[in-house]
Amino acid sequence: MATEAPSAHLAHHFPDLQTQEHAARLGMWLFLATEILLFTVLFTAYAVYRYLFPGAFDEASKLAHVSMGATNTVVLITSSLTVALGIHYARQGDKRKTVGLLAVTIAFGAVFMVLKGFEYHHHWVDGQLPGKFYHFTGLTGPGVSMYFTIYFLMTGLHGLHVLIGMGVLAWIALRAARGEFSREYSTPVELGGLYWHLVDLIWIFLFPLLYLV
Amino acid sequence: MAAPAHNEGKHLGPAQYVLIWVVLMVLTGATLAVWKTPMSDGLRISAALGIATVKAALVALFFMHLYEHGGASRLVLVTSMMFVALLIGLTLADNATRFPYANPPSSSPQDEVPFTNAPPPSNVPPPPLRARPEPAYQGH
Repeated sequence: MATEAPSAHLAHHFPDLQTQEHAARLGMWLFLATEILLFTVLFTAYAVYRYLFPGAFDEASKLAHVSMGATNTVVLITSSLTVALGIHYARQGDKRKTVGLLAVTIAFGAVFMVLKGFEYHHHWVDGQLPGKFYHFTGLTGPGVSMYFTIYFLMTGLHGLHVLIGMGVLAWIALRAARGEFSREYSTPVELGGLYWHLVDLIWIFLFPLLYLV
Repeated sequence: MAAPAHNEGKHLGPAQYVLIWVVLMVLTGATLAVWKTPMSDGLRISAALGIATVKAALVALFFMHLYEHGGASRLVLVTSMMFVALLIGLTLADNATRFPYANPPSSSPQDEVPFTNAPPPSNVPPPPLRARPEPAYQGH
């Protein structure tokens, strides 16, 4: 058993591929923890300003475009499914399905960004903008522009993560298409998928907080 | 370590993934239903956050494979959640226990109040100094 030829993917300081994969996965989770804490700062800002201006946040969140937000929730959750399936087929060494599912995931990401762009455009033309740029006359009062500051910061940082995730998945899909992954080695697909799932996780909390409550 | 060398048996299949997706869709519908139902603000936030937490747990456990892999990765997620709770909880507790006027009046451009640099009325005697000022103290 110990005489198996070492895999080309195995770094010399790991005894076997499984240990290497565990280490890679743990490292990815540590990175995701820092990402969670990065977003937590904005969630804290949201909590504080919502606490200070409950009425303003209640009224301002009614200006959010719920139908587009809900569609984006469905899009992102479905993209999480496709990337999970992509990882599943990557583990089985099915190159064609892996690449296809990753491409579908990237397409869902693009749909998300396009819808987000429409939302931003609507807020832009209506003057529902952060701070002193707020000039929407339909709703005024203390804290209203603060809602939009938080809205643009949170969805903006999240959108940036969607774009980065799309880039990561595109890179991994390219590597998969070149046949770099196999039944024994598909760690990058899994790690890229973890990043994409995190983007979905954040949105799961952003959507009800910004659009609904 | 007595970790199993092969945990292939625990890997989920496409059918399970689709099932979890269906549950997530149903929960998304539940979130929207909660939004449409008239209820108190606190209850609405609790319900929305509760559903979101269940959805996040499903994604983390099954899509992100914490259910089948577990180990240190779970510990990392739980630890980060603890810090999330600490940061949000303590910050909110701080705000909830402040005097109401600690809230700045012009925190929105809609309610600009004229700002004045005039000194306070001078007929009020200044507050007494400390009897013996501490030399190291540089604040205020």
